[in-house]
Amino acid sequence: MTSVAAPLAPAIDQSLASRLAGIVGERRVLFRPSELLTYTSDGLPSYFKQPGLAVFPGTRDELVAVVRALAERGVPFVPRGAGTGLSGGALADGVVLIGLNRLTRIVSVDAENALAVVEPGVINAALSRAVAPLGLHYAPDPSSQAACTIGGNVAENAGGPHCLKYGVTTNHVVALTVVLPDGEIVTLGNAQGENEGYDLVGAFVGSEGCFGIALDITVRLSRNPEAVRTLLADFMSIDSAAQAVSAIVATGIIPAALEMIDQATIRAVESSIYAAGYPTDAAAALLIEVDGATAGIEHDVETIEALCTEHGARTVRVARDDAERTRLWQGRKKAFGAMGRVSSHLVVQDAVVPRTRLPAVLARIHEIAERHRVKVCNVFHAGDGNLHPNIAYDASDADETKRVHLAMGEIMRACVDEGGTITGEHGVGLDKLPYMQLIFSEDSLATMCSLRDVFDPDRRANPGKVVPIHSCREWHGVPSARRG
Amino acid sequence: MTTSAARSARMFADRIRDSAARGAALRIVGRGTWLNAGRPVRAAETISTRDHSGIVDYVPGDLTLTARAGTTFSEINAATAPHNQWLALDPHGTDDGTIGATIATASSGPLSTGFGLPRDLVLGVEFATGGGMVARGGGRVVKNVAGFDLTRLLTGSWGTLGIISEVSIRLHARPEADVTLGVSMSGGDDDASRVRQFLRRMPFKPFACEILNTAAARVVANHASPVAIFRLGGNRESVRAQRAALQELGHLEELDSALWFRLRTAEPDDAIVFRLSQLPSKLGECWNAAMRVAADCSDTLIHARPALGVVRCIVPRSDANVAALARMFAEPRTQTRIGERLPAALWDACGPSVANAPLSRRIKATFDPNTVLNPGILGESN
Repeated sequence: MTSVAAPLAPAIDQSLASRLAGIVGERRVLFRPSELLTYTSDGLPSYFKQPGLAVFPGTRDELVAVVRALAERGVPFVPRGAGTGLSGGALADGVVLIGLNRLTRIVSVDAENALAVVEPGVINAALSRAVAPLGLHYAPDPSSQAACTIGGNVAENAGGPHCLKYGVTTNHVVALTVVLPDGEIVTLGNAQGENEGYDLVGAFVGSEGCFGIALDITVRLSRNPEAVRTLLADFMSIDSAAQAVSAIVATGIIPAALEMIDQATIRAVESSIYAAGYPTDAAAALLIEVDGATAGIEHDVETIEALCTEHGARTVRVARDDAERTRLWQGRKKAFGAMGRVSSHLVVQDAVVPRTRLPAVLARIHEIAERHRVKVCNVFHAGDGNLHPNIAYDASDADETKRVHLAMGEIMRACVDEGGTITGEHGVGLDKLPYMQLIFSEDSLATMCSLRDVFDPDRRANPGKVVPIHSCREWHGVPSARRG
Repeated sequence: MTTSAARSARMFADRIRDSAARGAALRIVGRGTWLNAGRPVRAAETISTRDHSGIVDYVPGDLTLTARAGTTFSEINAATAPHNQWLALDPHGTDDGTIGATIATASSGPLSTGFGLPRDLVLGVEFATGGGMVARGGGRVVKNVAGFDLTRLLTGSWGTLGIISEVSIRLHARPEADVTLGVSMSGGDDDASRVRQFLRRMPFKPFACEILNTAAARVVANHASPVAIFRLGGNRESVRAQRAALQELGHLEELDSALWFRLRTAEPDDAIVFRLSQLPSKLGECWNAAMRVAADCSDTLIHARPALGVVRCIVPRSDANVAALARMFAEPRTQTRIGERLPAALWDACGPSVANAPLSRRIKATFDPNTVLNPGILGESN
């Protein structure tokens, strides 16, 4: 990697810092190692990369000027929202990090058409809060929604528990204004009517900062449901919980969320400040939410209760009020935080498997963990087969670290073998780069690189992420380091 | 993987390479049921996905299906119906249409109100690029962010970026109840906005909701005056409540669910078809613009999809109608106007295509460097 990265990072020096300070002000350009410490990792504490410099534009014009200044000098950059990502995607290895968390304006809200235009640094939950008085919310709800930004969500095509029913970020973005890495400003999509031509919004969402930076994002808002019911069902075996998931999905009821929490996670949560009242002796619990019109909702709740019981649920509890519902969700959403109590380091995966393969895959994960003597916790979006096996470990223990990484690799391959994919919502970033070839042919990867080259022919935006660099070379038949 | 689907993609790629070597362009078709859609294609040769059909993978419990491009809706329906599932996608045309062509053209119908557009249902595609490579985007699972989104890029690219050989798509379980109801409309200016406001207020989303002008009401619903047609689905209690709520709009009529098929197949082969769209709140303006078309061109069928802010016009083909539309198309646009089937003269009157925007041109040049694939269908210049 270093042999390729080196020629791509020219001229990050005092002169560049001065130039950027001229645009955003001196306080908004950081280049001392101590100041940059915060930006050396993201939400996944297994990668550390030191940016060459970090710059924090405060307005759209400043952002465009920064991108253009970097383009003039051919300097690579990495856009970063709140840095809550779980793929190492927002790490800048010696290049410029552009922090977008000052661009927090909700530019406009159109209640009549349920649309909002936001700057990339708007916090996900802040948008839902702002539009709540209108009876609306922004549906994608990553667990980090209290901190993560909509710009970051767009980059990662972020999901969340409620995406089972409402879809992921790409299903909620209508249009984007984007500054391309060369400084050109383009509009993608059509906020005023049907989209014509290529689905450039579709291409941009999930491009992990490799195609440019969104200046503003037009998102679709969703109406708050008239009624919500949240259930907690606990099981004495993971297998029966997984069977219940399949049975629920097959009925045609699309729950707003259908989450599985295994015993290890339940115990971590229950011994933390996020204790939600999950039964600690259960092998697994399902957190199920249905929402929509009041009429008919009880029928769905009864169907789900019956199916859980039929598949061996010990108890099924329906939250009596909003307070109980919030408490049940808090345990799920803060599960990764609770793991922090177990050990200092955490790796988390994001594979997706066909839903009928859940029981087989969970058994396989269990077997792999036993063999490598690691503690795997599973807390995940069971309704769409999106697993989040995570392992808490002590990174100072070299042997344990090695076993953790071996186990993670085997788990990933097991998911792919079952017809799955390597990431459902966290993105490839750095973390899943080595697995891309498990699911994509060289020609597919080369085609992806060619699409990146349309947006960023100089390959300066988030270099070295998403597609393994050798795949990009093959497309051109020449080494990618053009400046070498 | 050496499935027959992979072999199809390889065959398409070989054909593309061969055509590129000979400097010949290819027109890409499914079963050829919609040949006059899109702008005129500049190609001497045709390649069809017709013989590349069949379901590759269908596990009912996963509610996903993977099929080769030439697989028809009839075949998909026949496979999914016994499991009480369906592909909630009803593009205009018969069930002889293929899944490949539907995804390539991003075609949708009334069910998009309840289930979204093809971009929301498609999970993965395999395709042969204009450079003769076989590439794949997405996968067979319902959630996937691995790699850049080639799936959505190919969806609606009208065969200009690659020949789709295989599609993976999301299915839905059939609802317990599924009813079709009609409410008479006044024919006045405010019909469209009245229905739209109703939909906004209601705590449910119908599977489908269309407003038909008198001509369309007659052909589709055997109804003498303008009518709003609704398809309501869900569990019985929910549908009962939806039906009760709908009475707010007027007297409900039970209608034959076959009308949805009649709506899909209402246009004669040589009809002139285009859509107008704007923000949903301006649906009334789109509707009025469509009614002006109908005033000039008799027997024009109009149906509006209030949830999406789209109005579709089906105009009988005649010299007088072409001339009238050419005049109308020459006026400054206040709506987004998307042509589905137009005679050449009207494509010219439509003005420049968005496919000529620099970014789109660069994508086309990258995916189809020899301009082999459906050249001209999006109005892109060389």
